[in-house]
Amino acid sequence: MTLFNLARKNLQRNFSSYFLYIASMVFSIVIYFTFVTLKYNDDISALTGTSQKISSMMSASSVILLFFIVVFIAYSNSFFMKKRKKEVALYSLLGVRKQQIGLMLFFENLFIGLVSLVAGIAIGFLMSKVLLTILVRLMGYSLTAGFVFSSEAVINTVIVFSVLFIFTSLQGYRVIYQFKLIDLFHAEKQGEAMPKASVLSAVIGVLSVGAGYYLALEDIMTSMWWRILSIAMPIVIIGLTVFGTYLLFHSVSVFALQAMKKMHSFSWKGLNLITTSQLLYRIRGNAKSLTVIAVLSATTITAGGAVFGLYYNIDKSINDNTPVTFMWEGEPLEVPQVSTHHTLATKLVTFTHNESERQYQVLPLATYNELAQEQGKEKITTMASNEGVLLDPYYDERFSEKLAGADLTANVSLHLTSQETYAVTNMSTTGPMIIVNEQTYEALEGEPTTYQAYTLQDGADNLAISRELNSQLTDAQQDFTSQPAAYEDIMSAMGAMLFVGSFLGLVFLTATGSIIYFKIVSEAEADKDKYTILYKIGVNDTQMLKTISAQVGIIFGAPLAAGLLHATFALLGFSNLLGMSITKPVLVWMAAYIAIYGLYYIFTTRAFYKIVKNARGNA
Amino acid sequence: MKPLVQVKAVNKIYGKGAQTFEALKNITFQVEEGEFVGVMGPSGAGKSTLLNVLATIDAPSSGDILIGDDNVAKMKDKALADFRRDNLGFIFQDYNLLDSLTVRENIVLPLAIAKVPTKEINARVDKIATTFGISELLNKYPYQISGGQKQRTASSRALVTQPKIIFADEPTGALDSKSATDLLESLSDLNETQNATIMMVTHDAFAASFCQRIIFIQDGTLSKEIHRGAKTRKQFFEEILQVLAGIGGDVNDVI
Repeated sequence: MTLFNLARKNLQRNFSSYFLYIASMVFSIVIYFTFVTLKYNDDISALTGTSQKISSMMSASSVILLFFIVVFIAYSNSFFMKKRKKEVALYSLLGVRKQQIGLMLFFENLFIGLVSLVAGIAIGFLMSKVLLTILVRLMGYSLTAGFVFSSEAVINTVIVFSVLFIFTSLQGYRVIYQFKLIDLFHAEKQGEAMPKASVLSAVIGVLSVGAGYYLALEDIMTSMWWRILSIAMPIVIIGLTVFGTYLLFHSVSVFALQAMKKMHSFSWKGLNLITTSQLLYRIRGNAKSLTVIAVLSATTITAGGAVFGLYYNIDKSINDNTPVTFMWEGEPLEVPQVSTHHTLATKLVTFTHNESERQYQVLPLATYNELAQEQGKEKITTMASNEGVLLDPYYDERFSEKLAGADLTANVSLHLTSQETYAVTNMSTTGPMIIVNEQTYEALEGEPTTYQAYTLQDGADNLAISRELNSQLTDAQQDFTSQPAAYEDIMSAMGAMLFVGSFLGLVFLTATGSIIYFKIVSEAEADKDKYTILYKIGVNDTQMLKTISAQVGIIFGAPLAAGLLHATFALLGFSNLLGMSITKPVLVWMAAYIAIYGLYYIFTTRAFYKIVKNARGNA
Repeated sequence: MKPLVQVKAVNKIYGKGAQTFEALKNITFQVEEGEFVGVMGPSGAGKSTLLNVLATIDAPSSGDILIGDDNVAKMKDKALADFRRDNLGFIFQDYNLLDSLTVRENIVLPLAIAKVPTKEINARVDKIATTFGISELLNKYPYQISGGQKQRTASSRALVTQPKIIFADEPTGALDSKSATDLLESLSDLNETQNATIMMVTHDAFAASFCQRIIFIQDGTLSKEIHRGAKTRKQFFEEILQVLAGIGGDVNDVI
């Protein structure tokens, strides 16, 4: 029997134990391949004028993705190798040379790599159509995506993963050469000392997370911390939070669990003793991994929540800034399928306020009310002379000058009663406007201006008409604004961002979920004897399942809770910064995240329970 | 009086089809309450299988096992776990202590599972620890104590629930002779003073000589039974050696 045959037979017989490894390889390849396919896809670049922006975003994302995949594959490979140490030891004991074992493992890896590459690219090819369709939808186009086979993507994927496979094979070689036969005969480590934690590091942990949160909620404009730290502020916040999270898992968890253990009325009930003492070792031993997972979750939830929130607010921000379908300054044009058409007569008035000059378009009250009614906005019934209302959607209380209650002077003086953050005209055409009543309008002196405002009938192809109008513009039409065009611009950029965001989010989520899965399952393997003992002293299955699901639940839940909390503070800071409410989309996003995480939890608990149950058979 | 354990026509067959192996063949015997019974026999005779079947860790292929009024051979898995918890105690050759728990917590565990109130747990643990002489070790971890101390911890854990019967599988197998004697004396003492019922599998004639009665099995069947009666331990030991020589047991293993 040649070594190659041995490797092949090995694989055939132990398929189930290889399955998880192959599955995670295939998963990585599918993800990478689809992503690269989308990157090289001509349809998408052709669709969007902003392709430059999107393709650079895609490139940046694929680098992040690649980095992540490298970590993920390295992790699953080391998990896989650990499982096979015994087998290697046995070959070694039977007198197979290390070089031969290495060669065998190399063939095996090669074979697994080949199989996963073919499977991954095939599945990826099918997946890319689905993903492409989703992407196109999110970008707001109605277009069906066809199957695309990009040879560039294939070549890219094959090269990247071949390098990765060589790397993992070398990792395997290293394991074999470092391995000593005596390890086989050593029993599992005879217990480890009970973790101890210092009060100091626990206190520092809590304080540093608290400080991170506090800084995250500081206002960028008014906070003295921002003034002191300026650009370094985000780094300080992230640093404090990550460091604090580590100490939280490393020390605070030990304190909490030891306190629980000392509370005999709690711990001496059922299997609580087992649950707490197992967790005491597990959380401490895995503090680094749990921190990484918490930080990754926080990043994913924050990024996803932010992008999703922005996407969710597109309609609102468009409606605020560009409420009219088409607007321009000057002469009317022949517009097909018109629903309403207004010719707005306004005056551009130069006001003085606090000794500085500024220009506003002034709109008579009657015209405002007409537009407001049409757009479903609040009408203004009465307005005294020499009073005005400023419509300025760009207003932000932190950056802008507050003008409500101010007196502006032109040839007559004008008292601004209020300042609103919506508009009834397209901002890029008219700029912020002041509404006044008819008498005041007549009295004010300024340069008369004419605007055209059109809305289209329901069902009209807004975008096509917009393009057509755009081509008809002459010098008689200035400052053309089109709601559909603006919408398309934002949608395609935000849609692509949302897609990339959720795609990466999903990958991160899957990877973190799998890492916890691998960890818990390998620890279950190491600990299964303990559960056999429990079985022998009369623990029934219900109690067994209860302690297992509690342990797995806390190992899954702790980093998730930390991640959610971090993300909540980050998103609070973010929404303060942008001055928009993103609560609803963020909650949806978090719920989706928790749901997928929950699935991992169920799978892991079941796998754990199965290992424990199977262990009894050969007790 | 009704015997505590009644084993009736128990068979245990491993494997399926043509490749079956009969580990136990038509075994029938009884154990009275307060007895200290030893089970001996050559390797592969079925000693451990018998103990596992009696201890409800393994199920017999046919036959009945009555412990008290319960037929454990017919019980379902879930009921069995509760039965073990409430009625049986175990001592294993490799101690089977949980190394992430302290000595005290290891002993507490079966009581916690049985939902005994905390106060009572403390009292019972302290009492049993005194019996086995491990009161000083209660806050240590298993990796900090010796093999003999571990086995006494395991015995405390087995006895703290005051089980109807204690099953010991080669409890002295991994101990030096001093620790083994200490342990056997403790068990024997418990048996005499507190009327504890103990069933112990061993291949060691010295350990067996602490029992009141010894059942020998060979090729899955009961081959012989001897009683200590009024004999001294030394005389009983000699008798065991003779029987073992007769059935080809591990005479070489003696002490």
